[in-house]
Amino acid sequence: MSRNQGMDRRQMLKLAGFSAAGLGLTAAGCGSGGGSNGPVTIRHAWWGADDRAKKVQECVTLFEKKHPKIKVKTDFQQYPDFWKKFNTQAAGGNPPDVIQNAVTFLRKYEAKNVLLDLNPQAKKGNLKLEGFRAGLEKFAEIDGKLLGVPVGSNSMALVIDEKVFEKAGVDHSLGWTWDDWYAGLQKIKSGQGIAGDSGPHGVMYLYDLILRQNGKAFFTEEGMGFGESELLPYWTEALARVKSGVYADQKKVEQIKPASALAKGLSAGEFTWDNFSVRYSAEGKSSYSLAPIPTTDGKKTGQYLGSLMLSGTARTKHPAEVATFISFMTHDPAVARIMGYDRGVPATTAQFEAFQPTDAPSKAIGAYETEIAKAGVLEPITPHPAGADVVEAAFLRIGGDMSLGKASPEDSVKQFFSEAKTALASN
Amino acid sequence: MTHIQTSTSGPVLDKDLAAVERSGPGRKTRPAPRPRGHRENLTGYLFMSPWIAGFLFLIAGPMVFSLYLAFTDYNLFDAPKWVGLKNFTDMFADPRWRQSVKVTSWYVVIGTPIKLAAALAVAMLLAQKRWGQSFYRAAFYAPSLIGASVSAAIVWRALFSDDAVVDRGQQLFGIDAGGWIGDPDMIIYALVGLTVWQFGAPMVIFLAGLKQVPRELYEAAEMDGAGPWRRFWSVTLPMISPVLFFNVLLETIHSFQIFGSAYIVSNGSCGPADATLVYTCYLYDQGFANSRMGFASAMAWLLLVAVGLVTAVLFWSQKRWVHYEEGAR
Repeated sequence: MSRNQGMDRRQMLKLAGFSAAGLGLTAAGCGSGGGSNGPVTIRHAWWGADDRAKKVQECVTLFEKKHPKIKVKTDFQQYPDFWKKFNTQAAGGNPPDVIQNAVTFLRKYEAKNVLLDLNPQAKKGNLKLEGFRAGLEKFAEIDGKLLGVPVGSNSMALVIDEKVFEKAGVDHSLGWTWDDWYAGLQKIKSGQGIAGDSGPHGVMYLYDLILRQNGKAFFTEEGMGFGESELLPYWTEALARVKSGVYADQKKVEQIKPASALAKGLSAGEFTWDNFSVRYSAEGKSSYSLAPIPTTDGKKTGQYLGSLMLSGTARTKHPAEVATFISFMTHDPAVARIMGYDRGVPATTAQFEAFQPTDAPSKAIGAYETEIAKAGVLEPITPHPAGADVVEAAFLRIGGDMSLGKASPEDSVKQFFSEAKTALASN
Repeated sequence: MTHIQTSTSGPVLDKDLAAVERSGPGRKTRPAPRPRGHRENLTGYLFMSPWIAGFLFLIAGPMVFSLYLAFTDYNLFDAPKWVGLKNFTDMFADPRWRQSVKVTSWYVVIGTPIKLAAALAVAMLLAQKRWGQSFYRAAFYAPSLIGASVSAAIVWRALFSDDAVVDRGQQLFGIDAGGWIGDPDMIIYALVGLTVWQFGAPMVIFLAGLKQVPRELYEAAEMDGAGPWRRFWSVTLPMISPVLFFNVLLETIHSFQIFGSAYIVSNGSCGPADATLVYTCYLYDQGFANSRMGFASAMAWLLLVAVGLVTAVLFWSQKRWVHYEEGAR
């Protein structure tokens, strides 16, 4: 019994010692970097699907071979989950060192000092800023800070099921109008019984183009660039088109997510970023091609170049290694050969020239971007204020809810503006 | 630790009593010898320290902080700004918050009774002696073991999607309504189905309760001419009412907290058309996607108060319908 009556002081000290040692070990295990001479580990997080994961991992392996003192740990999620996780990590002071990023998030995280200014690293020579196409190196420059480096350029397009459009005999050359497009959808519906479009009413980037074609824009420096009177007719019309079957059955679109309605054969077209056609070709059974954005006046598409980019995070302990990695991913020709047009047409000339597409979807993207650049339709991008990401999500969700018949266009428009106001005020 | 304390508490107590008796009136009071229990307590606390530290840092601390955040505007990055009751007034004015309350209440009110009814029905079947009884018990319990997992919800999503098993089953009966996942009017039933399917835990508790009902009561009732329904109503239900109360309480609280299944079945959207926007889903979305952590904290505290109130009402109501044996209350 005496053993059970308590431990002696020595035993207790031992126990305390082991506990402390255990905590120490755990703490050591949490560290991301090595010693000053050993390899440094940086974490790279991005959004996307499995096929992109394989490509990114291949690039990382190549990078580690060329830079044996830098290890890269990767992590990926689907787009919305990626940002939820990142918000939590960043708020907890432990964000990944390098993230995939987009213009919607730049001002938000700049205001919160989350992103690393890459200018000093460029000056030190760790990050090469020469050789970018069409001034893309300035794409993520905000208030004199360089908050990201583009990995590719992309533009909005209408991804189409080539066979269906061909069979319907729809002419979709540059400069076609919204009326031409809609007449084409009706032809497809009546001739082949397929919805001509997945339902574009929730796509913020497309609505931005429509507004720009009419001299407005989705965002201004201060906030929203349009009002209820613009959105109401757009959504009212969309609901009618869903009901008539010209736009896809929204219930079905909903349940196949995250797959695309176009790739699953629920529709013959979808407005999205041109590089998405690579993914659709992998997912779907038909052949997909790109059609230009329809216009109001036969000329102006409102288009601009968007871009996915890589950003460093401000709390990284290894800014030099972060810059080296970003530089590698944006300049190394081998990366372009691995990634192809997965994240858009490569942003640097070296990478652009290194990848000569042989597959149909990539060829189509190359041709599309060359065509719109030649036609001179590209304009500068409109500002995306902090909170734009939440506004985008609300536009998609509320537009979707309305098209499912759960809310009237009037109520939906009111709800959207109320949520947008809250998002822009609280971010 | 319990063992150590019980085995030594006797002698220590006796010694203390003896010391008190010796220090009678007029005698010089000698301080009682320091009981051995102090050292044991210290050891006990040392062993408990990981749990105590975990409780303080991971539960109590965050809870207090979250209570503070509930009265602030906090976007996860900038310092919280005190806004008083604004989060609560915003909440009541927010149609999506009202929708989340509606969906959750519906889910609790419809899902919980169906789940408990299923659990009780199966428990009654399994309480009877029959061949392969252990197999059946394990088989019916299995879904609750895997039920909480992400994979079960993913499978559920696959089952109820367009042109999947359920949809094709419907088509056999001439109902061509498409899958349930994309239908705002149907998806909630898929969620209720998922929770009902996980009835294993309350079933096991019911089973234990049913085993405790004295056979004589059924024999007496039978002799009085009571049929099966009457026996269930007048013998089984009153006799297992404490177990029923326990299950109602636990499952109600559990239902209020539904998150994982709603999030996964709806592919992270809590939709379509906010049809599966359960309270915690909206809370999560506001906190982590919209960076409104103050608002989310206010929501969390309101949920705690609501669950507390419902629990209080259940405890109050039990006096009317829960039958305890004499002295067992």
